[in-house]
Amino acid sequence: MLCLFSVVYCRGEESFRTFTTADGKSFPFRVLSFEGQEFYFEDRNGKQYKVNYKQFSPTDQKYLIDTAQNGKIPEGDPRKLNSAKTDSVMDSTEETSSEEKPEGVPTAEDDRRLKAPPKKTPKLRPGSFFAYKPVKLGQDPTLAEEKKGGSMPKSGEPIDFTSHVLPILEDRCFSCHQEPYDKNGRTIQPKAGLALNTYELVMKGNLDATVVTAGDVEDSYLHEVLTLDEDDDMFMPPKGGPLTPEQIDIIKRWIKEGAKPKAGASATADASAGISFHDHIFPILEERCLDCHGEPYVKNGRTIHPKAGLALNTYEAVLKGNLDGEIVARGNHEESTLYVVITLDPDDSELMPPKGDPLTPEEIELFKKWIDEGAKENPSDFFEKPKEKVAVSLTSTADKKTALVDLLGKQVSKLSPVKLKAASETGALVTPLSEKHNMVRAEFSSGPSLIENKAVQALSSIQSNISHLDLSRTAVNDSVITMVTKMKNLTWLGLRNTKITDNGVKALKALQFLRFLNLSGTQVTDSSIKELSQMKDLEEIYLWNTKVSESGVETLRKSLPEAKIIWFPEVVQTASVE
Amino acid sequence: MKSDLKSLDELSRREFVASAAKACLGVGLLPMAGSYVHTPVEALQPGPRPANARHIIYLYMSGGMTHMDTFAPNPDADKETYQGPVSPIATSADGVFLSENLPRTAQHMHNAAVIRTMMTSQGAHMQGNYLMHTSYQMRGTIAHPTFGSWIAKMSGPINSTIPMNVAINGRSGSSGFLESKYGPLPIGNPNAGLANSMAADYLDQTRFDGRLAMAQKMNAGFLDTYDQKQVRAYTDLYNDAIKLMRSEDLKAFDVASEPDSMKDLYGRTAFGQGCLLARRLVENKVRYIEVTRGGWDTHSNNFEAVANNCNDLDRGLSALLLDLEARGLLQDTMIVLVSEFGRTPRINGGNGRDHWPYGFSAFLAGGGIKGGTVYGKMDKVGRNPAEGKFVDPASLNATIGYAMGLPLNDVQYSPSGRPFKVAHDGEPVMDVLSV
Repeated sequence: MLCLFSVVYCRGEESFRTFTTADGKSFPFRVLSFEGQEFYFEDRNGKQYKVNYKQFSPTDQKYLIDTAQNGKIPEGDPRKLNSAKTDSVMDSTEETSSEEKPEGVPTAEDDRRLKAPPKKTPKLRPGSFFAYKPVKLGQDPTLAEEKKGGSMPKSGEPIDFTSHVLPILEDRCFSCHQEPYDKNGRTIQPKAGLALNTYELVMKGNLDATVVTAGDVEDSYLHEVLTLDEDDDMFMPPKGGPLTPEQIDIIKRWIKEGAKPKAGASATADASAGISFHDHIFPILEERCLDCHGEPYVKNGRTIHPKAGLALNTYEAVLKGNLDGEIVARGNHEESTLYVVITLDPDDSELMPPKGDPLTPEEIELFKKWIDEGAKENPSDFFEKPKEKVAVSLTSTADKKTALVDLLGKQVSKLSPVKLKAASETGALVTPLSEKHNMVRAEFSSGPSLIENKAVQALSSIQSNISHLDLSRTAVNDSVITMVTKMKNLTWLGLRNTKITDNGVKALKALQFLRFLNLSGTQVTDSSIKELSQMKDLEEIYLWNTKVSESGVETLRKSLPEAKIIWFPEVVQTASVE
Repeated sequence: MKSDLKSLDELSRREFVASAAKACLGVGLLPMAGSYVHTPVEALQPGPRPANARHIIYLYMSGGMTHMDTFAPNPDADKETYQGPVSPIATSADGVFLSENLPRTAQHMHNAAVIRTMMTSQGAHMQGNYLMHTSYQMRGTIAHPTFGSWIAKMSGPINSTIPMNVAINGRSGSSGFLESKYGPLPIGNPNAGLANSMAADYLDQTRFDGRLAMAQKMNAGFLDTYDQKQVRAYTDLYNDAIKLMRSEDLKAFDVASEPDSMKDLYGRTAFGQGCLLARRLVENKVRYIEVTRGGWDTHSNNFEAVANNCNDLDRGLSALLLDLEARGLLQDTMIVLVSEFGRTPRINGGNGRDHWPYGFSAFLAGGGIKGGTVYGKMDKVGRNPAEGKFVDPASLNATIGYAMGLPLNDVQYSPSGRPFKVAHDGEPVMDVLSV
């Protein structure tokens, strides 16, 4: 379809027409150029052919002569013409390049070696609608513009592998040095075992050695073979003449600038200035992760959300994580889910990315460094790694209960399964409160009336880890409080419907982190009000169904104005569950 | 195959069937029946977020509860043809109004939130009920587990004696493709307690144990031959039942032991006593309790019927809120009240309202909920949200699941290998959550 329009908008390009050969076969071809009696054609798939004009029918011959003589088509090998025509800088050397090259015109045989020869980009009139490269929504148009022509770098511009070097390799080297491919049931290997299709392969080299040494032009064999004598056996490319001086210069500059995959991006080792999200981390995410973890988009009327609700397309999104929490713990790669999932075993089903190979060790190292340095957006951002031990000050943590538990939890060590089992021997249920810290909740839920003071004894082995203790409805009495006060990090204590009296409440002062106290259904009286008034950090106290009177509650409210004190005039005479 | 089997002798045929069965299903040991042993429970693993709510009391109003006469009176709507005779009243939370049918609940709104822009795609009772309970649409190819079954499975048991999923006064849905032990334990009449759980008078402990031992002996041969998961589950069922019968936790089901004043507080109706039983079960650390109350399908004579229903509802709900708060259980328990859809804002010819799946209400209170909030507001004809966005049943379940710390993004697989999520594609309504 493009070709139809190219009739109208292109200059010097012929349209498709049906050519008939002498033996009656017809082909829809487009004539590209000629050399002597040989004409170069292109079929609708972009495949190119070279045919002697005498093989066609007389009408076709007349047409071909006409186009050649009237200058409607250029003279020369179309592939050579293509590489030399994209920019004005190169235009001046067009004549020289075609004169310098020997008559190494590729034959039809060479064409067959190419699995998929490069599509010829149509020459479009400046200002043509089709000269504009379509840009995906959200993509930077200037980046797309750069990728368009495989252009020559402007002076002073750093060499970008994809837009400057790769087109040269594609044009002159791929015919022999591309990745193994299948043809007629045989696998065709690249010459000398050296494939040059991608950046990784160029840097990899072949089994004998690498061909590129970053920064060192003398040591890079890739540059050496281009500048050898033409008679030399190892001169590259062996067919079609040497590369133009500009092309050799591009490759030389690329190697000198460090043989980087992207202009300005650092290759593996250049992270000395600090890892930046946009330069180092984002390219990896873009390549390996954004297919599944991109932004939500609409397809066929449905909104497709990123997998696991996790988007990774921006710095903010990566730091935000998803509903289940954050994936990056700044300064600590071991606790960062992002690092954990990329370093799992290959047979673990949670390994990311799930398709293709796992990330290379270099990429994993980049992530590790980035997270340890603080997961910054720019290396110059400020990040101070939180100190290992946080001193808990009672005044500073008055904000939320969870914040207090988090802080306390980070100060104690993780409980081993053996310890947890030992603590549960007498019927307690010990559950960790959160993945992020090591505090646990201990409760007696099943058959509580069988639980007596000695059952609580088993919890003493883990007493510093207990922040929530629920003794509700058990058969404990005041003596258990001595064991309870040994749990220094207790923040939540449930004594509902137990035999606790004022004597037990007296001792609770020792628990400096206690914030929640449930005494409903116990025998405490107004005598405890004085003790409770001294516990200035209590946040919630439940006194319903006790012997405390309304005036006692009023006194307590005055002493602890910030606390939530729940008390109702008695609704029931006795406790609920017997 | 068939002819081959026939040519084998009988013993080989039986062996083949037994080994085939063994190959397909799991192996099990016969557990010890007999004296009650207090088994220590393994530590439950915490979820990705800390769980604010550990228990759910789900009050399901079956039939399509009218929202405009209960939780979402709309002062913008036309009084004559839309809103009707019901006026809004102020509550204990600033700026929040409920209808005059719920005066007692209004005093607890400082602990509660209302979502007023619920929407469902189903306008029929069975389909709407299914969608609300499972977050998936009803389809013929698979039975989805109810949200309660998911909670029972994923949150794990705190009390290992009582089933974690109890349904009072009616049961909606089942455990679907999950193991049937996560399905709801039905209690038809809260006053009657747990059916068939009392041992007969003439049986003392020794005789009961003797009978159990004999049954075990008779089963031993069968269990040896067919060491299968389903068979083992059956024996487990017996053992769990015996464990419950013998434990004191059975008393949780005995509402009769409550003092009269408590029973009066909740109201002596099936719903009220069901709420009282729910409170007792929360004290025994049951995870998910659903109490159903029907009679809301008011296509005619809407206002009188709703006033009667609300008398019951208001009493039970407010008692539950008061009671749980007094005992210090409200911060761990979330109360959810919802219906399968709402009713038309426009009053119909029979002074009633018909089905209306747009902009009905969900009431949430307790653990994990930011008190005194209202999410969303409908326009004056009640068709589109004037503020906020539509919330579908999956999102309501996701909100509950978020507060419970359930993994909402994890894909779970049915035994047939189909992927499901706990709350399907729902997104939690963060505005009503306290985190």
